[in-house]
Amino acid sequence: MARMVSNPFSTRHTRPGSILSRDPTGMPIDVASLLDRLDALGGSAAIVGPHGSGKSTLLMHLAAALARRGESVQRVRLHSWVDAPTVWMAIRRARPGDIVCIDSWECSGHLIGSLLRAEARMTRRRLLVTSHRGVGFPELVRCTTSPALLRSIVEGLPGHGFWFGKLVHRADIDQAFVNHGGNLRESLYELYDRFEAAKSPFSDVRRDGPIDHAGHAGVHHEIHEFTDGFSSVGAPERNLG
Amino acid sequence: MTVSIDRGPLKPKVEVQFDRPYRHHEPRDQLAVRYRIEGCDGEHIRAIEHSVLWYTEGKGEEDLGVHFFQRVTDRTMLPPTATAGAFSTPLPQSPLSYEGVIVKVRWCVRVRLFFDGSRDFVSEHVFDVGHVPPARMLSSGA
Repeated sequence: MARMVSNPFSTRHTRPGSILSRDPTGMPIDVASLLDRLDALGGSAAIVGPHGSGKSTLLMHLAAALARRGESVQRVRLHSWVDAPTVWMAIRRARPGDIVCIDSWECSGHLIGSLLRAEARMTRRRLLVTSHRGVGFPELVRCTTSPALLRSIVEGLPGHGFWFGKLVHRADIDQAFVNHGGNLRESLYELYDRFEAAKSPFSDVRRDGPIDHAGHAGVHHEIHEFTDGFSSVGAPERNLG
Repeated sequence: MTVSIDRGPLKPKVEVQFDRPYRHHEPRDQLAVRYRIEGCDGEHIRAIEHSVLWYTEGKGEEDLGVHFFQRVTDRTMLPPTATAGAFSTPLPQSPLSYEGVIVKVRWCVRVRLFFDGSRDFVSEHVFDVGHVPPARMLSSGA
């Protein structure tokens, strides 16, 4: 069975935590200076931006940086207001001064969001949230996108030197950005499909690197990396113990 | 053949060898793996985790199942005393490896090194289980 090249645009390579947080010019965001700004804002703030602009990715990196400097960090992702009890529990579970990172804060709704925020303020927990719009928190950073940002993300994906220019071209990246109005997530999904469509007839790159009879691995079957607490090699690492 | 990513002075390398040519196994086969660790000179490894798992790859939500897991903390089995290791497990009946367009199912062996502090290093090696033919995209005229 011919083993195929892993699609570099799949979720495992592009989800929050798997890629670096970058500014619209494509340069990595200075997380340390954002933490200084967070402190200056009193410890609670919002990362604001439209769908697919890198808010969740930035939140994950900030949460990891906070944890690295010894802070206790709780992380919650909201899907709807029904998840509000989970946030409330996270706030209650945290100790005074701890920070609770909440993705998609706007899903809590205005009333429940106000109650959660009041609870956090009264119990001296800090909140770092992402939202599509201003939600009453001081704004830590506003995420915006650009073709240069998408290109820089693509450059950082596994095997870029192997498939870029053969299966996916610069024009494809720019077109995907336009097609989805700057939504990076949707643009990467489109590039996933483009990669799949392009690799099918491309027999030379369908097979991975050489595999000898001793069962040594081909280079494209392997991922080797430091995780720093993030899972960028597929499955959630917590499930591995 | 292995690759490593340079992120600081530490350049670990985990070279894995499977017991079957082309890393292709049948369901219920015994999977046996040997590995060798290099590039950890002077760094204390406090544990090594071995795992065999499958995961889905594609757009959207992902899934996984850990089939085999083993954590080694015995110092006599860790570098620098021992720089090589081995483990084996019988493979299950399913899921089989699958190369779909929207979703793929992959099996892999992972060797994870835990260094002093919070740093860890993961080495992942894909192998196949079964013979499900890969999916093909229909051309627009089909």
